[in-house]
Amino acid sequence: MIEGDDLDLFERTLRHANKTCNGASLDAALADVGWHDALAVDQRAAVAIQFELQGRANTTSSALDDVMSFALGVDGSVAVVLPPLGRSAPPGSRCRDHLAVEGIATAALARRERALAAATADGTSVLKVAPVAELDTVSVRGIDPELGLVLVTGEVAAPDEVAPAHWDAAVDLARVAIGHELTGAARAMLDLARDHALERIQFGQPIAMFQAVRHRLAEALVAIETASAMLDAAWLDRTPQTAAMAKAVAGRSARTTAKHCQQVLAGIGFTLEHPFHRYLRRILVLDELLGSARTLTTSLGAEVLATGRLPRMLAL
Amino acid sequence: MDLDEFRSGLDTWLDEHDEELRPDYTGSGTLDQQVAQMAKVKRMAFDAGWMRWGWPERVGGLGGSNLLRAYLGEAVTLRDFWEPGFASLHEVLAPTMIDYAAPQLAAAMVPRLLRGDEMWCQGFSEPGTGSNLASLACRAVREGEGWRVSGQKVWTSLAQFARRCVLLTRTGGPESAHGGITALFVDMDSPGISVRPIEAMHGHEEFCEVFFDGVLVPLDRTLGNEGQGWAVAMDILPYERSTALWHRAAYLHHRLQQLVTAAPPGSLDPAALGEVTQVVYAFRARSRATQHRLASGGQLGPETSIDKVLLAEAEQAMFDLAEAGLAADLVSRDDPISAQWRAEYLYSRAASIYGGSAEIQRNIIARRLLDLGNDR
Repeated sequence: MIEGDDLDLFERTLRHANKTCNGASLDAALADVGWHDALAVDQRAAVAIQFELQGRANTTSSALDDVMSFALGVDGSVAVVLPPLGRSAPPGSRCRDHLAVEGIATAALARRERALAAATADGTSVLKVAPVAELDTVSVRGIDPELGLVLVTGEVAAPDEVAPAHWDAAVDLARVAIGHELTGAARAMLDLARDHALERIQFGQPIAMFQAVRHRLAEALVAIETASAMLDAAWLDRTPQTAAMAKAVAGRSARTTAKHCQQVLAGIGFTLEHPFHRYLRRILVLDELLGSARTLTTSLGAEVLATGRLPRMLAL
Repeated sequence: MDLDEFRSGLDTWLDEHDEELRPDYTGSGTLDQQVAQMAKVKRMAFDAGWMRWGWPERVGGLGGSNLLRAYLGEAVTLRDFWEPGFASLHEVLAPTMIDYAAPQLAAAMVPRLLRGDEMWCQGFSEPGTGSNLASLACRAVREGEGWRVSGQKVWTSLAQFARRCVLLTRTGGPESAHGGITALFVDMDSPGISVRPIEAMHGHEEFCEVFFDGVLVPLDRTLGNEGQGWAVAMDILPYERSTALWHRAAYLHHRLQQLVTAAPPGSLDPAALGEVTQVVYAFRARSRATQHRLASGGQLGPETSIDKVLLAEAEQAMFDLAEAGLAADLVSRDDPISAQWRAEYLYSRAASIYGGSAEIQRNIIARRLLDLGNDR
């Protein structure tokens, strides 16, 4: 556990890193401050703090790749091929002596020499670390060009036995991490809208004085705090169901926050000169990664109907 | 006594006394049955010690953290031994007495409330005073060694069963607003008090009008100082949104599970069920943090407005789903189980109105948590 002054220092250092660095330089800064060691020592502090900050600062890094490869037990720095948006099963499948991979990755792929490809084979998950050069990659701008999404296809030679993978555990941890990033982004959107509401004068007073505006911002804070409570619960009760619920609630809450904040920001929030659009773009991608609020919620309901059981109640 | 020890001890005791503790009626029962049932459970739990944990020794408690109370309410609620809404009265009023009553008064009275010997009520709202609590007009005038109280309260829960009332009165001038309110602890059998239950849409006369016609209240029944009533009220409200909400969250989970079991195949939309499951879970997750903040000595404040907003959302979402999943029973059957779903569905409509409306909570969130400035 990282505690007390050490925790403060850790958080301050990461805050500074996310403020001053982005992309490759943020990866370097994370390595410098020992974030990967922290991940091994105190997973919750490392994940929650970095991903919240990354969401707030709208930065990109290879932290998600590192979280997943950590959970999969792969040493060294590798990029992770993620499932196509909206899905969470391994992005590959086993075909005789190779793995056929179809998925996406972030800009981190270009910064790493090796990629981690997980695949489904005979009903279980296996994984293979392959040189990035063996994969076909196509960069896409998409809705969030700064994320540097890459569509990945390819056939990775795997003539031998491949290692079984704890893919589901990696997905659980990644979902919680993305939940924190969504919540950080939502907090940033609320900060922007709050500042605007206090500065923007109409009818002789700040628009923050109007109840219609105040209630929208209050609604956003309720959504954010709900997601935050769910993420705390996911760390306390580490089950696949709580991880999925936390990501679903974080995704829905970020979308709710975006809707209210964009309305309060009005004209200026629709321009590229205002930073709001960056957050909106980012949360749309994050919500779709490894299962969206919509799909995770529907499959939770279907699971409850099939088993007749609710997820276990969170203990006091 | 730590939480784990309490949990296992209490669970064992509840299992051992299941037969005696269980209500002898099916479904909601009548209001009289519910009140008698709660008194029975409190008395047994108090005499066995369980109900005393989490309360200070100077009011008949055995000490220990508020988490013990939170767990007790949860465990009793999950076994359907009492109506959790009624338990909120002692969770709200006992802390007020502990904080504001003279020590001897608190020591004499609080055990009666906790043991179920007495029900108490909370006289806050008035016909002209709903959301704007500081505008209350029920008048108390000094007369010798007492207060002479005249006025009316409304929405007073279970006043027809109550032996005492924590009453907010106007002791300052009509323009005194927050500064002219004084809280009194009133015996409900005092001459001049009349109680008229209100017929409510869910079928239980749970709320009442209470009329005060020149009621004499001794001076030593003043809670806090003269003019301190607003502070008493403001300190009560976070309690309404802490332990009592934890009990409510447990109840919603319990009812959702029963809905999943009872709903005919195909009647629950998976997406809607998934979302309600998440909302109920999230409400509990939020409330858990509040219980722990209270346990570690934290003061509860405006952040509990978020808990109240989530209660209303979870409660209404849960019973909307019940109405969809059990439509035929809820709408067109009169057996006790169907009648209970119907009553609870109708009662859930009030969740965004009572205890500070959804709009008032959002006003508090905007002003106090988002610091958007004072809009009044």
